[in-house]
Amino acid sequence: MRLNIVIGGAAGQGINKVSTIVSNILVKYGYFTFNYRDYQSLIRGGHSFNTLSISDSQIHSHYASIDIIVALNKRALETHKPALKKGGMIIIAKEFKKEGRNLNIALAGALLKILGIPLENLNEEIKLEFKDFDKALISAKKGYDSESEKFVLKKLDNKITILSGSNAMAIGAKNANLDIYIGYPMTPSTNALHAMAKDQIKNKMLVFQAENEISVISMALGASFAGAKSMVGTSGGGYDLMSESLSLQGITEIPLVVYLASRVGPGTGVPTYTAQSDLDIALRAGHGEFPRVVIAPGTPTENIEIVADALFLSEKFKMLSIILSDKHLAESEFSTTLTPKKATKITVKRSVPGTSIVKASSYESDKFGNSTESYILTEANVDKRMQKYNRAKEYINSNLEMVKIHGKKNSKNLIVGWGSTSGVIIDAIRDLDAKFLQVIYMKPLSSLIRKELEKADNVILIECNATGQLGRLIREKTGIKIENRLLKYNGRPFHEDELKIYLGEML
Amino acid sequence: MVKKIIKKSPKTKQIKKAAPPKPNKNIIKLKLDLGTKSENTWCPGCPNFMILEAVKRTLATYIDSKKYKKEDFAITADIGCHGKIFDYLNLSGIYGLHGRAIPTAIGMKLGNPNLKVITFVGDGAIYSEGISHLIHAFKENPDMSLFVHDNQVFSLTTGQSTPTSQTGYVTKSEPLGEFDKPLNPIKIALASNATFIARVNARDTPHMVEIMTKAINHRGFSFVEIMQDCIIFNMDQNFKDKRMYKIPDNKDIKIAEKLASEFNYNSKEEKIPMGVLYHNDQPCLEDRWPQLVDLQKRKVGWINK
Repeated sequence: MRLNIVIGGAAGQGINKVSTIVSNILVKYGYFTFNYRDYQSLIRGGHSFNTLSISDSQIHSHYASIDIIVALNKRALETHKPALKKGGMIIIAKEFKKEGRNLNIALAGALLKILGIPLENLNEEIKLEFKDFDKALISAKKGYDSESEKFVLKKLDNKITILSGSNAMAIGAKNANLDIYIGYPMTPSTNALHAMAKDQIKNKMLVFQAENEISVISMALGASFAGAKSMVGTSGGGYDLMSESLSLQGITEIPLVVYLASRVGPGTGVPTYTAQSDLDIALRAGHGEFPRVVIAPGTPTENIEIVADALFLSEKFKMLSIILSDKHLAESEFSTTLTPKKATKITVKRSVPGTSIVKASSYESDKFGNSTESYILTEANVDKRMQKYNRAKEYINSNLEMVKIHGKKNSKNLIVGWGSTSGVIIDAIRDLDAKFLQVIYMKPLSSLIRKELEKADNVILIECNATGQLGRLIREKTGIKIENRLLKYNGRPFHEDELKIYLGEML
Repeated sequence: MVKKIIKKSPKTKQIKKAAPPKPNKNIIKLKLDLGTKSENTWCPGCPNFMILEAVKRTLATYIDSKKYKKEDFAITADIGCHGKIFDYLNLSGIYGLHGRAIPTAIGMKLGNPNLKVITFVGDGAIYSEGISHLIHAFKENPDMSLFVHDNQVFSLTTGQSTPTSQTGYVTKSEPLGEFDKPLNPIKIALASNATFIARVNARDTPHMVEIMTKAINHRGFSFVEIMQDCIIFNMDQNFKDKRMYKIPDNKDIKIAEKLASEFNYNSKEEKIPMGVLYHNDQPCLEDRWPQLVDLQKRKVGWINK
């Protein structure tokens, strides 16, 4: 069973409210939801929409073709009608104009009636969300009574939670006992900043907004030096500003975690849309040669786990850990029955100021931490840093899940992908003869990748960028070029139905 | 030349009267302990030696008073001649990137608000590359001290013009001469709601010790401009000592504005007021964040939260 509902309208009309109410009810009713948020870089007006996908089994993606349109204005109807399936339904907001502020509740009511979910479920949700709910209940009933049942969704026995990548960042930070998070607003990293800031006192954390990303990362290095477990968050443009300090991290070896949530570049690009085009800078930004790990979660659950792993690795190996996400993972609302693994306990055992004399320098330094230009010490320091990376690599190899294999394990058709594209690949190959190799650790890169590539007859690379950045990385590390590539770079993630058609042609 | 000036300066003798108690043996020992084995690579005769001496004296007196341990201090230094002070001080800290010494220091305070943090920067570093951080530091008012070694020139990069260099200064990078008027950092500080603004002469060690002590004691962001000659580059701006005069600590904003206007970093005649040009009491960053208030109460950093 799979349904796709588009809720569209102008920014400010409350499309998120409709999808949130309906998702919450569906999830409590035992259904899996995936909510894709498509919005423009504006506050009021324009055209935004959510695609709420519903299924009785685990999903991580949405469809291009639509079963139901909820149109908050004429533009939404005109935009989405061409994608409406034959026999698809349309709910028009204009009919509930009289409901005023409770318009969205009436729309939720109409939608739930079509899905065949009893009205009590909506009433309960309203009572939970609103203090003054009498009028809302009336609007809900009006909406509910306006439609007739088209589908009958039976109550299922699943314990499901809704989670976005941004919320996952905050949960992961809490689980790992992060001390300080510093950021500067930039879509799509802002929601993680908001989520962390909201409960900072309760979670015994400090969330600081600095004057620019240069300051953000400089402060985080200072805080980490003083003994706080520290993380910064940004998107591509802000990350560019941080580059010099990534390099400072390399030489000072002050533990640091960077959350990089990509969007469409270059430049300001298409700021509220998605892309996997910053893998190159995640791997290489910063002058000089120094070690780092780059980890790319594919789902919010993986994201929660990876926050703790990234913090652990950065503290254990005094290294830079980069968590690479994007708008699609950060802002889409996934649902899952999985619970993340328990976070590894992270203890700061370093010498810190206040109790000892400890020096960190942007210059190569001697054993006292003071500057040196000695060729002997320079070489020894470089060796020390490279050996540290080898130790980290060994640790990761034997303790952490660097890749995941999904689909038919013995298939000769191999799909290679990473990050937010993983979800839609997992969904699309469910009924196909294909295996999906999800790369989670981009640096270090798992040696399993070569083995899988050598075993397969037909390999397809799927990424949301124009140059196949993971493909290039794999070629660099293995010498194997993946010829078949499916690359999307218009700011929109793959739809499951769209990907199925492409894969049907390529497999 | 330099030695002559020191002898000629009538101010030096006067100041000695106002100097803090004469160093006892323990302070001499503590001062030695604040030094390192690194080879000092400042030019012979550079006023940076006197700034280093003043810092050591100030901190040795603090440590001697048992109010703070040596480990309670942490420094950050920028890149430039001034920054080498990092290698010559046996104190915790980060020798950071060019322009970033202030946010790195604020980060340390976020990481452990109990630290006494001092930041060393040059005029090139802080008024060019790091100017945004400086203005925001005034606004955020973290409890730390900023010592600006202002010699009105980029020295370690061989003599280019900085934002406080005089109009007309001819350099290899600007052979047509500096066209701009210099910035007046004191005015910027006042406009940015600074809570402590002071100016001292790098050749006047006792006065430096007095002002540095006041800066460290001030609860908030203390901005100390150290007027310093470069004995190699932009020597036109040297020998301002005769025009300097000391003022009593000032709390009046109107007077501060007047004092800030007296010297425009360009002229050869104007008098230059020295001392605490302005100070007031405003809640500092560490006292506004409940998380940091809690760490201060318990005298711990996040590491022991």
